[in-house]
Amino acid sequence: MQTLTADKKPLSLNNDPAGVNLLEIEDLSVFLGGNQILKNINMVVKKGHIHALIGPNGAGKTTLMRSIMGGMPHQGIIRFLFRSNSLIGYVPQLLEFDHSVPITVCDFLSIMLQEKPIFLTGSRSIRKKISEILAITESEHLIDRLIGGLSGGEFRRVLLAQALEPLPEILLLDEPASNVDEYGAMLFEQMLNRLRDEHGLTILMVGHDIKMILRLADRVTSINRKVMFDGSPDELKGPGKVAELFDGSMATSTDNVEE
Amino acid sequence: MLDALYELIGGWASQGYLPSIFEHTFMIRGMLAAMLIGPLLGGVGTVVVTKKLSFFTQTIGNGALSGVAIGLLFGEPVEGTFAGLYGFCLIVALLMTFVKNRSRLSNDTVIGVVLAQVLGFGIFMLVVVTNNFNIHQVEGILFGSLITLTDNDLMALAVASVVVGLLFCFIFNRIMLVAFNPILAKARGLRPVFLEYFFIVLMTIVVVASLKLIGALLVLVLIVVPAAGAQNIVNNLRQFVWVSIVFSTISTTVGLLLSALFPIPSGAVIVLVSSLLFYGTLMLKPLFGKSGIQQGQV
Repeated sequence: MQTLTADKKPLSLNNDPAGVNLLEIEDLSVFLGGNQILKNINMVVKKGHIHALIGPNGAGKTTLMRSIMGGMPHQGIIRFLFRSNSLIGYVPQLLEFDHSVPITVCDFLSIMLQEKPIFLTGSRSIRKKISEILAITESEHLIDRLIGGLSGGEFRRVLLAQALEPLPEILLLDEPASNVDEYGAMLFEQMLNRLRDEHGLTILMVGHDIKMILRLADRVTSINRKVMFDGSPDELKGPGKVAELFDGSMATSTDNVEE
Repeated sequence: MLDALYELIGGWASQGYLPSIFEHTFMIRGMLAAMLIGPLLGGVGTVVVTKKLSFFTQTIGNGALSGVAIGLLFGEPVEGTFAGLYGFCLIVALLMTFVKNRSRLSNDTVIGVVLAQVLGFGIFMLVVVTNNFNIHQVEGILFGSLITLTDNDLMALAVASVVVGLLFCFIFNRIMLVAFNPILAKARGLRPVFLEYFFIVLMTIVVVASLKLIGALLVLVLIVVPAAGAQNIVNNLRQFVWVSIVFSTISTTVGLLLSALFPIPSGAVIVLVSSLLFYGTLMLKPLFGKSGIQQGQV
Protein backbone atom coordinates (compact mmCIF):
# COMPACT_ATOMS: atom_id res chain seq x y z
CA MET A 1 0.00 0.00 0.00
CA GLN A 2 1.35 3.39 -0.83
CA THR A 3 0.80 6.56 1.04
CA LEU A 4 0.20 9.74 -0.81
CA THR A 5 1.46 13.02 0.51
CA ALA A 6 1.19 16.40 -1.06
CA ASP A 7 4.74 16.78 -2.22
CA LYS A 8 6.02 13.26 -2.67
CA LYS A 9 5.38 10.75 -5.40
CA PRO A 10 4.72 7.18 -4.39
CA LEU A 11 7.85 5.15 -4.75
CA SER A 12 6.36 2.60 -7.06
CA LEU A 13 4.90 5.03 -9.53
CA ASN A 14 4.12 2.93 -12.51
CA ASN A 15 5.47 3.85 -15.89
CA ASP A 16 3.14 1.53 -17.71
CA PRO A 17 1.97 2.82 -21.06
CA ALA A 18 -1.49 4.32 -21.08
CA GLY A 19 -2.88 1.36 -22.94
CA VAL A 20 -3.15 -0.91 -19.92
CA ASN A 21 -6.63 -1.91 -18.82
CA LEU A 22 -7.45 -1.56 -15.16
CA LEU A 23 -11.16 -2.29 -15.09
CA GLU A 24 -13.12 -4.28 -17.63
CA ILE A 25 -16.90 -4.44 -17.67
CA GLU A 26 -18.48 -7.06 -19.90
CA ASP A 27 -22.17 -7.36 -20.68
CA LEU A 28 -23.22 -5.93 -17.36
CA SER A 29 -26.93 -5.94 -16.68
CA VAL A 30 -28.61 -4.89 -13.46
CA PHE A 31 -32.23 -5.38 -12.50
CA LEU A 32 -33.83 -3.57 -9.58
CA GLY A 33 -37.37 -4.25 -8.53
CA GLY A 34 -38.30 -5.75 -11.86
CA ASN A 35 -36.85 -2.89 -13.90
CA GLN A 36 -33.77 -3.22 -16.01
CA ILE A 37 -31.54 -0.35 -14.92
CA LEU A 38 -28.47 -1.34 -16.93
CA LYS A 39 -28.42 -3.36 -20.15
CA ASN A 40 -25.34 -5.01 -21.58
CA ILE A 41 -22.83 -2.42 -20.52
CA ASN A 42 -19.41 -2.92 -22.06
CA MET A 43 -16.68 -0.60 -20.98
CA VAL A 44 -12.96 -0.47 -20.26
CA VAL A 45 -11.16 1.92 -17.92
CA LYS A 46 -7.49 2.32 -18.68
CA LYS A 47 -4.78 2.86 -16.11
CA GLY A 48 -3.84 6.46 -15.52
CA HIS A 49 -6.92 7.79 -17.27
CA ILE A 50 -9.60 10.10 -16.10
CA HIS A 51 -12.63 8.32 -17.47
CA ALA A 52 -15.87 10.25 -17.43
CA LEU A 53 -19.27 8.60 -17.20
CA ILE A 54 -22.08 10.78 -18.42
CA GLY A 55 -25.75 10.49 -19.17
CA PRO A 56 -29.11 12.00 -18.29
CA ASN A 57 -30.70 11.61 -14.88
CA GLY A 58 -31.94 8.11 -14.27
CA ALA A 59 -29.53 6.65 -16.81
CA GLY A 60 -28.06 4.23 -14.28
CA LYS A 61 -24.74 5.94 -13.61
CA THR A 62 -24.90 5.63 -9.84
CA THR A 63 -26.09 2.03 -10.20
CA LEU A 64 -23.07 1.32 -12.36
CA MET A 65 -20.78 2.87 -9.75
CA ARG A 66 -22.40 0.81 -7.03
CA SER A 67 -22.04 -2.35 -9.06
CA ILE A 68 -18.35 -1.68 -9.42
CA MET A 69 -18.13 -1.11 -5.68
CA GLY A 70 -19.65 -4.50 -5.10
CA GLY A 71 -22.66 -5.71 -3.23
CA MET A 72 -25.05 -5.17 -6.10
CA PRO A 73 -26.44 -8.29 -7.75
CA HIS A 74 -25.71 -8.20 -11.44
CA GLN A 75 -25.33 -10.25 -14.58
CA GLY A 76 -22.16 -10.00 -16.60
CA ILE A 77 -18.59 -9.56 -15.53
CA ILE A 78 -16.78 -6.79 -13.69
CA ARG A 79 -13.09 -7.55 -13.86
CA PHE A 80 -10.44 -5.73 -11.85
CA LEU A 81 -6.96 -6.04 -13.24
CA PHE A 82 -5.04 -5.07 -10.19
CA ARG A 83 -3.84 -6.50 -6.88
CA SER A 84 -6.66 -8.10 -4.96
CA ASN A 85 -5.86 -6.30 -1.74
CA SER A 86 -6.01 -2.86 -3.28
CA LEU A 87 -8.87 -0.68 -2.33
CA ILE A 88 -11.21 1.16 -4.56
CA GLY A 89 -11.42 4.75 -3.44
CA TYR A 90 -15.03 5.91 -3.41
CA VAL A 91 -16.42 9.40 -3.06
CA PRO A 92 -20.21 9.25 -3.20
CA GLN A 93 -22.38 12.09 -4.35
CA LEU A 94 -24.52 12.06 -1.26
CA LEU A 95 -23.52 10.71 2.09
CA GLU A 96 -26.31 10.42 4.58
CA PHE A 97 -25.32 10.72 8.17
CA ASP A 98 -26.58 12.08 11.43
CA HIS A 99 -25.39 15.68 11.61
CA SER A 100 -25.71 15.81 15.36
CA VAL A 101 -23.05 13.19 16.08
CA PRO A 102 -20.05 14.98 17.61
CA ILE A 103 -17.43 13.81 15.17
CA THR A 104 -14.74 16.12 13.84
CA VAL A 105 -12.85 15.75 10.59
CA CYS A 106 -9.88 14.58 12.66
CA ASP A 107 -12.07 11.97 14.39
CA PHE A 108 -13.50 10.87 11.06
CA LEU A 109 -10.12 10.11 9.60
CA SER A 110 -8.76 8.70 12.85
CA ILE A 111 -11.40 6.01 13.10
CA MET A 112 -10.57 5.00 9.57
CA LEU A 113 -6.85 4.96 9.95
CA GLN A 114 -6.04 3.64 13.40
CA GLU A 115 -6.77 0.39 15.16
CA LYS A 116 -6.65 1.63 18.73
CA PRO A 117 -9.98 3.01 19.89
CA ILE A 118 -10.09 6.72 19.45
CA PHE A 119 -11.07 7.42 23.04
CA LEU A 120 -7.97 5.68 24.38
CA THR A 121 -5.34 7.38 22.27
CA GLY A 122 -4.09 10.91 22.14
CA SER A 123 -4.79 12.74 18.94
CA ARG A 124 -1.31 14.16 18.58
CA SER A 125 0.28 11.12 17.01
CA ILE A 126 -2.20 10.72 14.23
CA ARG A 127 -2.94 14.38 13.82
CA LYS A 128 0.18 15.11 11.83
CA LYS A 129 -0.59 12.33 9.42
CA ILE A 130 -4.19 13.46 9.06
CA SER A 131 -3.03 16.99 8.35
CA GLU A 132 -0.87 15.73 5.53
CA ILE A 133 -3.72 13.71 4.08
CA LEU A 134 -6.09 16.67 4.24
CA ALA A 135 -3.47 18.86 2.58
CA ILE A 136 -3.86 16.88 -0.64
CA THR A 137 -7.34 18.30 -1.03
CA GLU A 138 -6.52 21.66 0.58
CA SER A 139 -8.63 20.93 3.62
CA GLU A 140 -6.15 20.96 6.51
CA HIS A 141 -7.93 23.94 7.99
CA LEU A 142 -11.01 21.78 8.48
CA ILE A 143 -9.31 19.33 10.80
CA ASP A 144 -11.13 20.35 13.99
CA ARG A 145 -14.42 21.22 12.41
CA LEU A 146 -17.41 19.06 13.18
CA ILE A 147 -18.41 17.03 10.14
CA GLY A 148 -22.04 17.98 10.65
CA GLY A 149 -21.15 21.64 10.16
CA LEU A 150 -19.21 21.41 6.92
CA SER A 151 -20.55 22.79 3.69
CA GLY A 152 -21.16 20.50 0.73
CA GLY A 153 -17.89 21.37 -0.92
CA GLU A 154 -15.87 21.09 2.27
CA PHE A 155 -17.30 17.69 3.06
CA ARG A 156 -16.62 16.53 -0.48
CA ARG A 157 -12.97 17.53 -0.11
CA VAL A 158 -12.70 15.60 3.16
CA LEU A 159 -14.29 12.56 1.54
CA LEU A 160 -11.85 12.79 -1.33
CA ALA A 161 -8.96 12.96 1.13
CA GLN A 162 -10.11 9.82 2.91
CA ALA A 163 -10.59 8.01 -0.39
CA LEU A 164 -6.94 8.65 -1.21
CA GLU A 165 -5.58 7.11 1.96
CA PRO A 166 -4.31 4.48 1.35
CA LEU A 167 -3.78 5.30 -2.29
CA PRO A 168 -6.30 3.26 -4.27
CA GLU A 169 -5.81 1.68 -7.67
CA ILE A 170 -8.89 3.41 -8.95
CA LEU A 171 -10.89 6.32 -7.61
CA LEU A 172 -14.64 6.41 -8.16
CA LEU A 173 -16.14 9.88 -8.00
CA ASP A 174 -19.87 10.33 -8.17
CA GLU A 175 -20.68 13.88 -9.29
CA PRO A 176 -17.68 15.47 -7.59
CA ALA A 177 -18.57 19.01 -8.58
CA SER A 178 -22.28 19.03 -7.84
CA ASN A 179 -23.53 21.17 -4.98
CA VAL A 180 -20.21 22.98 -5.00
CA ASP A 181 -19.50 26.58 -5.94
CA GLU A 182 -17.39 27.55 -8.93
CA TYR A 183 -14.22 28.09 -6.98
CA GLY A 184 -14.65 24.68 -5.37
CA ALA A 185 -15.25 23.09 -8.75
CA MET A 186 -12.09 24.68 -10.12
CA LEU A 187 -10.08 23.45 -7.16
CA PHE A 188 -11.44 20.00 -7.73
CA GLU A 189 -10.47 20.04 -11.34
CA GLN A 190 -6.92 21.10 -10.50
CA MET A 191 -6.72 18.38 -7.87
CA LEU A 192 -7.91 15.68 -10.24
CA ASN A 193 -5.39 16.80 -12.83
CA ARG A 194 -2.60 16.64 -10.28
CA LEU A 195 -3.67 13.24 -9.08
CA ARG A 196 -3.61 11.87 -12.59
CA ASP A 197 -0.52 13.63 -13.90
CA GLU A 198 1.71 13.52 -10.87
CA HIS A 199 0.54 10.39 -9.13
CA GLY A 200 -0.72 8.25 -11.96
CA LEU A 201 -4.10 7.74 -10.34
CA THR A 202 -6.90 6.22 -12.40
CA ILE A 203 -10.21 8.01 -11.95
CA LEU A 204 -13.70 7.05 -12.98
CA MET A 205 -16.02 9.94 -12.50
CA VAL A 206 -19.68 10.56 -13.03
CA GLY A 207 -20.23 14.13 -14.08
CA HIS A 208 -22.56 16.63 -15.64
CA ASP A 209 -20.25 19.54 -16.24
CA ILE A 210 -19.50 18.98 -19.90
CA LYS A 211 -16.83 21.63 -20.18
CA MET A 212 -14.94 20.25 -17.22
CA ILE A 213 -15.21 16.81 -18.73
CA LEU A 214 -13.95 17.97 -22.10
CA ARG A 215 -10.95 19.57 -20.39
CA LEU A 216 -10.21 16.77 -18.01
CA ALA A 217 -11.24 13.41 -19.36
CA ASP A 218 -9.12 11.04 -21.37
CA ARG A 219 -12.13 9.01 -22.31
CA VAL A 220 -15.87 9.44 -22.09
CA THR A 221 -18.61 6.84 -21.86
CA SER A 222 -22.19 7.91 -22.11
CA ILE A 223 -24.92 5.62 -20.90
CA ASN A 224 -28.66 5.68 -20.86
CA ARG A 225 -29.37 2.21 -19.58
CA LYS A 226 -27.03 1.00 -22.28
CA VAL A 227 -23.86 2.44 -23.73
CA MET A 228 -24.68 5.30 -26.09
CA PHE A 229 -21.18 6.53 -26.76
CA ASP A 230 -17.71 5.42 -25.80
CA GLY A 231 -14.70 7.28 -27.07
CA SER A 232 -12.33 10.19 -26.66
CA PRO A 233 -13.72 13.57 -25.59
CA ASP A 234 -12.57 15.13 -28.86
CA GLU A 235 -15.25 13.18 -30.64
CA LEU A 236 -17.79 15.03 -28.54
CA LYS A 237 -16.67 18.44 -29.65
CA GLY A 238 -19.13 19.05 -32.34
CA PRO A 239 -22.47 20.78 -32.63
CA GLY A 240 -25.42 18.71 -31.48
CA LYS A 241 -23.39 15.75 -30.27
CA VAL A 242 -23.47 16.76 -26.63
CA ALA A 243 -27.17 17.56 -26.67
CA GLU A 244 -27.85 14.00 -27.73
CA LEU A 245 -26.09 12.62 -24.74
CA PHE A 246 -27.25 15.02 -22.04
CA ASP A 247 -30.61 16.50 -21.36
CA GLY A 248 -30.99 20.13 -22.36
CA SER A 249 -30.43 21.68 -18.92
CA MET A 250 -26.75 20.72 -18.85
CA ALA A 251 -25.71 23.24 -21.46
CA THR A 252 -26.54 26.23 -19.24
CA SER A 253 -24.29 25.22 -16.37
CA THR A 254 -21.21 25.45 -18.54
CA ASP A 255 -21.88 28.85 -20.09
CA ASN A 256 -19.74 30.85 -17.73
CA VAL A 257 -16.81 28.46 -17.44
CA GLU A 258 -13.86 29.60 -19.44
CA GLU A 259 -12.36 27.34 -22.12
CA MET B 1 -13.14 -13.62 48.83
CA LEU B 2 -16.10 -11.34 48.40
CA ASP B 3 -17.10 -11.91 52.01
CA ALA B 4 -13.80 -10.48 53.15
CA LEU B 5 -14.46 -7.41 51.02
CA TYR B 6 -17.93 -7.00 52.48
CA GLU B 7 -16.57 -7.23 56.00
CA LEU B 8 -13.92 -4.65 55.22
CA ILE B 9 -16.32 -2.14 53.73
CA GLY B 10 -18.95 -2.86 56.36
CA GLY B 11 -16.29 -2.12 58.92
CA TRP B 12 -15.51 1.24 57.38
CA ALA B 13 -19.20 2.05 57.39
CA SER B 14 -19.70 1.26 61.03
CA GLN B 15 -16.69 3.41 61.85
CA GLY B 16 -18.23 6.33 60.03
CA TYR B 17 -15.85 6.54 57.02
CA LEU B 18 -18.69 5.55 54.75
CA PRO B 19 -22.45 6.10 54.96
CA SER B 20 -24.06 3.61 57.34
CA ILE B 21 -26.07 1.94 54.59
CA PHE B 22 -22.88 0.21 53.54
CA GLU B 23 -23.10 -1.93 56.60
CA HIS B 24 -25.59 -3.87 54.54
CA THR B 25 -24.03 -6.34 52.16
CA PHE B 26 -26.65 -5.86 49.48
CA MET B 27 -25.73 -2.19 49.23
CA ILE B 28 -22.08 -2.99 48.82
CA ARG B 29 -22.97 -5.42 46.10
CA GLY B 30 -25.20 -2.86 44.51
CA MET B 31 -22.48 -0.22 44.54
CA LEU B 32 -19.95 -2.60 43.05
CA ALA B 33 -22.48 -3.48 40.36
CA ALA B 34 -23.16 0.20 39.75
CA MET B 35 -19.45 0.93 39.31
CA LEU B 36 -19.05 -1.96 36.89
CA ILE B 37 -22.13 -1.42 34.79
CA GLY B 38 -22.06 2.39 34.71
CA PRO B 39 -19.08 2.80 32.38
CA LEU B 40 -20.31 0.02 30.10
CA LEU B 41 -23.70 1.63 29.67
CA GLY B 42 -22.14 4.97 28.90
CA GLY B 43 -19.71 3.56 26.38
CA VAL B 44 -22.21 1.40 24.58
CA GLY B 45 -24.69 4.25 24.67
CA THR B 46 -22.58 6.40 22.36
CA VAL B 47 -22.90 3.82 19.61
CA VAL B 48 -26.58 3.12 20.32
CA VAL B 49 -27.40 6.80 19.97
CA THR B 50 -25.34 7.16 16.80
CA LYS B 51 -26.85 4.08 15.22
CA LYS B 52 -30.30 5.04 16.40
CA LEU B 53 -30.87 1.78 18.22
CA SER B 54 -32.69 3.22 21.23
CA PHE B 55 -36.02 1.67 20.45
CA PHE B 56 -34.33 -1.57 19.56
CA THR B 57 -32.64 -1.68 22.95
CA GLN B 58 -35.99 -1.43 24.68
CA THR B 59 -37.12 -4.61 22.98
CA ILE B 60 -34.18 -6.52 24.37
CA GLY B 61 -35.05 -5.29 27.82
CA ASN B 62 -38.64 -6.39 27.34
CA GLY B 63 -37.40 -9.85 26.53
CA ALA B 64 -36.27 -10.18 30.12
CA LEU B 65 -39.63 -11.44 31.34
CA SER B 66 -39.60 -14.27 28.84
CA GLY B 67 -35.96 -14.91 29.60
CA VAL B 68 -36.66 -15.37 33.29
CA ALA B 69 -39.64 -17.61 32.55
CA ILE B 70 -37.65 -19.79 30.20
CA GLY B 71 -34.84 -20.01 32.70
CA LEU B 72 -37.29 -21.13 35.37
CA LEU B 73 -38.72 -23.64 32.94
CA PHE B 74 -35.31 -25.19 32.58
CA GLY B 75 -34.85 -25.41 36.30
CA GLU B 76 -32.67 -22.41 36.94
CA PRO B 77 -32.95 -20.80 40.36
CA VAL B 78 -35.31 -17.83 40.61
CA GLU B 79 -32.54 -15.39 41.33
CA GLY B 80 -30.14 -16.68 38.73
CA THR B 81 -31.84 -17.44 35.44
CA PHE B 82 -28.68 -16.60 33.52
CA ALA B 83 -29.05 -18.99 30.63
CA GLY B 84 -32.68 -18.12 30.09
CA LEU B 85 -32.05 -14.38 30.19
CA TYR B 86 -28.92 -14.23 28.10
CA GLY B 87 -30.14 -16.93 25.75
CA PHE B 88 -33.56 -15.49 25.04
CA CYS B 89 -32.49 -11.87 24.87
CA LEU B 90 -29.67 -12.73 22.48
CA ILE B 91 -32.06 -14.65 20.27
CA VAL B 92 -34.51 -11.76 20.21
CA ALA B 93 -31.74 -9.28 19.46
CA LEU B 94 -30.20 -11.28 16.65
CA LEU B 95 -33.57 -12.15 15.12
CA MET B 96 -34.62 -8.53 15.14
CA THR B 97 -31.39 -7.43 13.52
CA PHE B 98 -31.91 -10.06 10.87
CA VAL B 99 -35.49 -8.93 10.22
CA LYS B 100 -34.45 -5.28 10.25
CA ASN B 101 -31.88 -5.89 7.55
CA ARG B 102 -34.10 -8.01 5.38
CA SER B 103 -37.53 -6.53 5.75
CA ARG B 104 -39.06 -3.73 3.74
CA LEU B 105 -41.00 -2.51 6.72
CA SER B 106 -39.52 0.51 8.41
CA ASN B 107 -37.34 -0.20 11.41
CA ASP B 108 -39.80 1.66 13.56
CA THR B 109 -42.63 -0.65 12.59
CA VAL B 110 -40.69 -3.85 13.00
CA ILE B 111 -39.47 -2.88 16.42
CA GLY B 112 -42.86 -1.60 17.51
CA VAL B 113 -44.42 -4.91 16.59
CA VAL B 114 -41.81 -7.01 18.34
CA LEU B 115 -41.61 -4.78 21.40
CA ALA B 116 -45.20 -5.35 22.42
CA GLN B 117 -45.19 -9.01 21.45
CA VAL B 118 -42.14 -9.80 23.51
CA LEU B 119 -43.55 -8.11 26.59
CA GLY B 120 -46.92 -9.84 26.28
CA PHE B 121 -45.29 -13.17 25.62
CA GLY B 122 -43.09 -12.68 28.64
CA ILE B 123 -45.95 -12.06 31.03
CA PHE B 124 -47.81 -15.03 29.60
CA MET B 125 -44.79 -17.30 29.96
CA LEU B 126 -44.10 -16.17 33.48
CA VAL B 127 -47.64 -16.88 34.62
CA VAL B 128 -47.65 -20.27 32.91
CA VAL B 129 -44.33 -21.30 34.36
CA THR B 130 -44.90 -20.07 37.90
CA ASN B 131 -48.60 -20.95 37.97
CA ASN B 132 -49.54 -17.60 39.39
CA PHE B 133 -49.10 -13.95 38.70
CA ASN B 134 -46.58 -12.76 41.20
CA ILE B 135 -46.56 -9.02 40.83
CA HIS B 136 -43.44 -8.61 42.92
CA GLN B 137 -41.48 -10.88 40.68
CA VAL B 138 -42.63 -8.99 37.62
CA GLU B 139 -41.95 -5.69 39.34
CA GLY B 140 -38.48 -6.81 40.22
CA ILE B 141 -37.70 -7.70 36.64
CA LEU B 142 -39.13 -4.53 35.20
CA PHE B 143 -37.80 -2.06 37.73
CA GLY B 144 -34.77 -3.76 39.21
CA SER B 145 -34.45 -5.71 42.43
CA LEU B 146 -31.29 -4.90 44.22
CA ILE B 147 -32.09 -7.21 47.10
CA THR B 148 -31.91 -10.23 44.80
CA LEU B 149 -28.48 -9.30 43.47
CA THR B 150 -26.28 -12.25 44.36
CA ASP B 151 -22.56 -12.81 44.44
CA ASN B 152 -23.00 -14.87 41.31
CA ASP B 153 -24.56 -11.90 39.60
CA LEU B 154 -21.63 -9.77 40.66
CA MET B 155 -19.07 -12.24 39.38
CA ALA B 156 -20.97 -12.55 36.11
CA LEU B 157 -21.07 -8.78 35.89
CA ALA B 158 -17.35 -8.48 36.53
CA VAL B 159 -16.54 -10.99 33.85
CA ALA B 160 -18.97 -9.39 31.42
CA SER B 161 -17.49 -5.97 32.12
CA VAL B 162 -13.98 -7.05 31.33
CA VAL B 163 -14.91 -9.05 28.25
CA VAL B 164 -17.36 -6.54 26.83
CA GLY B 165 -15.08 -3.65 27.70
CA LEU B 166 -12.16 -5.16 25.83
CA LEU B 167 -14.22 -6.15 22.82
CA PHE B 168 -15.87 -2.76 22.74
CA CYS B 169 -12.50 -1.04 22.61
CA PHE B 170 -11.46 -3.42 19.89
CA ILE B 171 -14.36 -2.66 17.55
CA PHE B 172 -15.18 0.90 18.52
CA ASN B 173 -13.56 2.70 15.62
CA ARG B 174 -15.05 0.35 13.08
CA ILE B 175 -18.55 0.25 14.50
CA MET B 176 -18.55 4.04 14.72
CA LEU B 177 -17.71 4.26 11.04
CA VAL B 178 -20.48 1.79 10.23
CA ALA B 179 -22.85 3.81 12.40
CA PHE B 180 -21.83 6.95 10.58
CA ASN B 181 -22.45 5.52 7.12
CA PRO B 182 -22.40 1.81 6.22
CA ILE B 183 -21.71 2.38 2.54
CA LEU B 184 -18.58 4.33 3.28
CA ALA B 185 -17.51 1.69 5.80
CA LYS B 186 -17.93 -0.97 3.15
CA ALA B 187 -15.92 1.08 0.66
CA ARG B 188 -13.08 1.07 3.17
CA GLY B 189 -13.08 -2.68 3.42
CA LEU B 190 -15.14 -3.15 6.58
CA ARG B 191 -17.96 -5.65 6.97
CA PRO B 192 -20.92 -3.62 8.23
CA VAL B 193 -23.27 -6.57 8.69
CA PHE B 194 -20.84 -8.61 10.75
CA LEU B 195 -19.88 -5.62 12.87
CA GLU B 196 -23.51 -4.80 13.51
CA TYR B 197 -24.28 -8.29 14.76
CA PHE B 198 -21.14 -8.23 16.88
CA PHE B 199 -22.16 -4.97 18.48
CA ILE B 200 -25.73 -6.16 19.05
CA VAL B 201 -24.35 -9.14 21.00
CA LEU B 202 -22.21 -6.84 23.16
CA MET B 203 -25.13 -4.53 23.75
CA THR B 204 -27.42 -7.39 24.74
CA ILE B 205 -24.89 -8.62 27.27
CA VAL B 206 -24.70 -5.14 28.79
CA VAL B 207 -28.50 -4.84 28.93
CA VAL B 208 -29.00 -8.22 30.58
CA ALA B 209 -26.17 -7.60 33.04
CA SER B 210 -27.79 -4.38 34.22
CA LEU B 211 -31.29 -5.77 34.71
CA LYS B 212 -31.12 -6.38 38.43
CA LEU B 213 -29.76 -2.96 39.12
CA ILE B 214 -31.97 -0.91 36.83
CA GLY B 215 -34.75 -3.11 35.53
CA ALA B 216 -35.88 -4.06 32.06
CA LEU B 217 -38.19 -1.12 31.58
CA LEU B 218 -35.61 1.48 32.46
CA VAL B 219 -32.31 0.12 31.22
CA LEU B 220 -32.90 1.86 27.91
CA VAL B 221 -32.78 5.18 29.71
CA LEU B 222 -29.30 4.55 31.03
CA ILE B 223 -28.05 3.63 27.61
CA VAL B 224 -29.49 6.62 25.83
CA VAL B 225 -29.71 9.52 28.26
CA PRO B 226 -26.04 9.85 29.33
CA ALA B 227 -24.93 9.73 25.70
CA ALA B 228 -27.62 12.21 24.71
CA GLY B 229 -26.56 14.53 27.49
CA ALA B 230 -22.94 14.23 26.47
CA GLN B 231 -23.86 15.15 22.93
CA ASN B 232 -25.09 18.50 24.17
CA ILE B 233 -21.78 19.64 25.53
CA VAL B 234 -18.92 17.89 23.74
CA ASN B 235 -16.95 18.85 20.68
CA ASN B 236 -15.39 15.63 19.48
CA LEU B 237 -15.68 11.88 19.62
CA ARG B 238 -13.18 11.34 22.41
CA GLN B 239 -15.04 13.71 24.71
CA PHE B 240 -18.32 12.15 23.65
CA VAL B 241 -17.30 8.72 24.92
CA TRP B 242 -15.71 9.88 28.18
CA VAL B 243 -18.44 12.31 29.16
CA SER B 244 -21.06 9.68 28.41
CA ILE B 245 -19.20 7.21 30.63
CA VAL B 246 -18.88 9.75 33.44
CA PHE B 247 -22.57 10.64 33.25
CA SER B 248 -23.75 7.05 33.28
CA THR B 249 -21.43 6.10 36.15
CA ILE B 250 -22.56 9.08 38.21
CA SER B 251 -26.15 8.08 37.47
CA THR B 252 -25.72 4.52 38.63
CA THR B 253 -23.61 5.22 41.72
CA VAL B 254 -25.26 8.40 42.98
CA GLY B 255 -28.67 7.02 42.01
CA LEU B 256 -28.03 3.90 44.02
CA LEU B 257 -26.90 5.88 47.06
CA LEU B 258 -29.99 8.05 46.94
CA SER B 259 -32.28 5.06 46.48
CA ALA B 260 -31.13 3.77 49.84
CA LEU B 261 -32.80 6.78 51.40
CA PHE B 262 -36.21 6.20 49.86
CA PRO B 263 -38.36 3.12 49.44
CA ILE B 264 -38.11 3.42 45.68
CA PRO B 265 -36.53 0.81 43.39
CA SER B 266 -32.95 1.70 42.56
CA GLY B 267 -33.74 1.79 38.85
CA ALA B 268 -36.14 4.69 39.17
CA VAL B 269 -33.76 6.86 41.18
CA ILE B 270 -30.86 6.07 38.86
CA VAL B 271 -33.00 7.16 35.95
CA LEU B 272 -33.93 10.38 37.73
CA VAL B 273 -30.28 11.23 38.33
CA SER B 274 -29.43 10.64 34.70
CA SER B 275 -32.35 12.82 33.66
CA LEU B 276 -31.18 15.63 35.92
CA LEU B 277 -27.76 15.44 34.33
CA PHE B 278 -29.31 15.58 30.90
CA TYR B 279 -31.41 18.65 31.62
CA GLY B 280 -28.38 20.19 33.23
CA THR B 281 -26.45 19.82 29.99
CA LEU B 282 -29.31 21.38 28.06
CA MET B 283 -29.11 24.44 30.24
CA LEU B 284 -25.34 24.58 30.08
CA LYS B 285 -25.23 24.08 26.35
CA PRO B 286 -24.86 27.77 25.47
CA LEU B 287 -21.90 28.00 27.83
CA PHE B 288 -20.03 25.36 25.89
CA GLY B 289 -20.27 27.43 22.75
CA LYS B 290 -21.64 24.74 20.52
CA SER B 291 -20.75 25.96 17.11
CA GLY B 292 -20.44 24.21 13.87
CA ILE B 293 -23.42 21.93 13.97
CA GLN B 294 -26.27 23.22 11.91
CA GLN B 295 -29.16 21.01 10.97
CA GLY B 296 -29.85 20.50 7.34
CA GLN B 297 -26.42 21.17 5.91
CA VAL B 298 -24.86 18.56 3.71
